[in-house]
Amino acid sequence: MELGKGRSSVRGAWGRIVADTETNTPTDPKSFEDKDRIRTAGFSVGGLWDQYGSHVVTVVNLICFFILWEVFARSGVVNKVFFPTASGMFGTLWEGLTRSAPPDAIISGQIIDHLLYTLRTLSIGVTLACLLGVPAGLLMGGNRYVEKILSPYVWGMASLPRIALVPLFILFMGFTVKMQITIVTLSALFPIVINAWAGVKTTEKSLIAAAKVFGASRTNIYVHVVLPYTLPFIIAGIQQGIGRGMVAVIIAEIFGGSNGLGFLITRAADTFNSELMYAVLLLLVIISLSFIKITRMIEIYIAPWRQQVVM
Amino acid sequence: MFLDVTGRDDASTNSGDHRGAQQPLIVAKNMTVGYKLHRERKLLTALRDITLTVNRGEFVCLLGPSGCGKTTFINAISGIVLPWEGTIEVDGAPVTGPGPDRAMVFQDYALMPWRTVESNIRMPFEFQKLGMSKQQIDERVERYLDLVELKGFEKSYPYELSGGMRQRVGIARALATEPTILLADEPFAAIDAMTREAMQSELERFVTKTRQTVVFITHSIDEAITLGDRIVVISRRPGRIKEVLDVNLPRPRFDQDVKSLPAYSELRERIWSLVKDEALSGAHGEE
Ligand SMILES: Nc1ncnc2c1ncn2[C@@H]1O[C@H](COP(=O)(O)OP(=O)(O)OP(=O)(O)O)[C@@H](O)[C@H]1O
Ligand SMILES: [Mg+2]
Repeated sequence: MELGKGRSSVRGAWGRIVADTETNTPTDPKSFEDKDRIRTAGFSVGGLWDQYGSHVVTVVNLICFFILWEVFARSGVVNKVFFPTASGMFGTLWEGLTRSAPPDAIISGQIIDHLLYTLRTLSIGVTLACLLGVPAGLLMGGNRYVEKILSPYVWGMASLPRIALVPLFILFMGFTVKMQITIVTLSALFPIVINAWAGVKTTEKSLIAAAKVFGASRTNIYVHVVLPYTLPFIIAGIQQGIGRGMVAVIIAEIFGGSNGLGFLITRAADTFNSELMYAVLLLLVIISLSFIKITRMIEIYIAPWRQQVVM
Repeated sequence: MFLDVTGRDDASTNSGDHRGAQQPLIVAKNMTVGYKLHRERKLLTALRDITLTVNRGEFVCLLGPSGCGKTTFINAISGIVLPWEGTIEVDGAPVTGPGPDRAMVFQDYALMPWRTVESNIRMPFEFQKLGMSKQQIDERVERYLDLVELKGFEKSYPYELSGGMRQRVGIARALATEPTILLADEPFAAIDAMTREAMQSELERFVTKTRQTVVFITHSIDEAITLGDRIVVISRRPGRIKEVLDVNLPRPRFDQDVKSLPAYSELRERIWSLVKDEALSGAHGEE
């Protein structure tokens, strides 16, 4: 059949382009074998290094850092009240995270109890911020009137240092969990709102045009173009929100209350317990880094196409 | 499995010489199109007083300086912008919005980055109610994946593909619903020269077999001559039709050495002088 014949030659020539773009097509079996051998050899040394090399560097780097710290602290240049040994700090941290509180302890509760308390406040606050912030941001991006009405408040609140509000909320609610959660929510809210808003606003016009041409309704465009495009922005917003929320919860606990890592820091300072103080600070660093790492992984999983832009 | 191009509506209704048939498909009459500029609170005329008829089975190339309104023209055909004055009709009915009878290939591919190759080609079937069963759609998607030689890349994401492969996804997406009209906005502009030539050749072959009606924007005079049955030269903004030229060169043009024909170079000279005039004449059309 005439058309059928034409079709097969059509396919053949598209195929030519494919062959051009595929570089791993083996032409000569011998050279292919050679390449394979090189690749296997590379895997045993270079491959392992590629995979774990940066981790090894990090671990060695950190070990050196803490050894230097230990030596410096033991040399006695700085009073141990201000600067504990690294081993003392790790010991306190390990004990505080694994053992239950001795009955004669100065501070009621171990590090682990305060950690869980802080994480609970933080997660409730950030969850509330997401529940409020994501829809608010999406609405602001999608509706010109909502945007006009809300944007002065969003920018105003976003530029006000939330710490300045802490005394006000203490006045309103006292040294309660409610006060702490409110401050966390307010701190985490604005990065989430602004990112979701920006995501909707920057959705590529050509993607929207393409969806329209292929018959998408307004709802289709929202669900199938704007939302997937905005999702990585929302995750970035939540990531920032967790960071801000972390700062807020520690500050709220330092201001007042009798629980949480912020409270533990002030108690450690009051009792000249520098090992405990440094242990808590180290813990805060570890928590923050883990949150960043986790949200990065979620981001890469949800929006792999953005990976190239980011890295 | 062969791609059964005879199954296509427009191919069967257009047996015989398509240039002899002269069946008007897209009819623009004194069409003026523009945009509202929200920021400056004024109107911008992109195209003024366009009158043009595109016949069924015809391959029309639009050529003109940047910003003259070529994209606006095919947007008006696709229905994502509507004329301010005058009319535009497709198949006898005024254009009121996008429809499954028209599909577009975009210069920047406009593939959804979160969808796989296969899912991108499937997208039009999700939005348009074509009354096809799931199995029919699966078959279609597979057939057009095969046509653009992307078998084996169904599950890849656009970011994992080369530019040429991405545009083949764009072409498959546009063709899969078997639209009456294919609109193409500089589809090969961002593709390297060698791949571009191969893709132009494929498009010509596909179009001559299927009698697909195409409105094709390009910046390249050579591309316009090697692909088009007619070339519409548009003047600077606000764009008006400056001249419409017939391309009377034998097809398929890629298999023969049409570039060495005297008619080719003559036409090329002609268009070149028209386009050069436009480029040199300055912004005489500003509102
Ligand atoms: N969405 C829009 N809003 C406002 N003005 C627009 C919009 N799209 C295009 N224009 C204006 O309309 C005019 C024609 O634009 P159009 O995109 O149709 O040009 P074009 O011929 O396709 O140009 P190019 O060859 O550079 O793609 C330009 O002056 C442009 O600034
Ligand atoms: Mg354009």
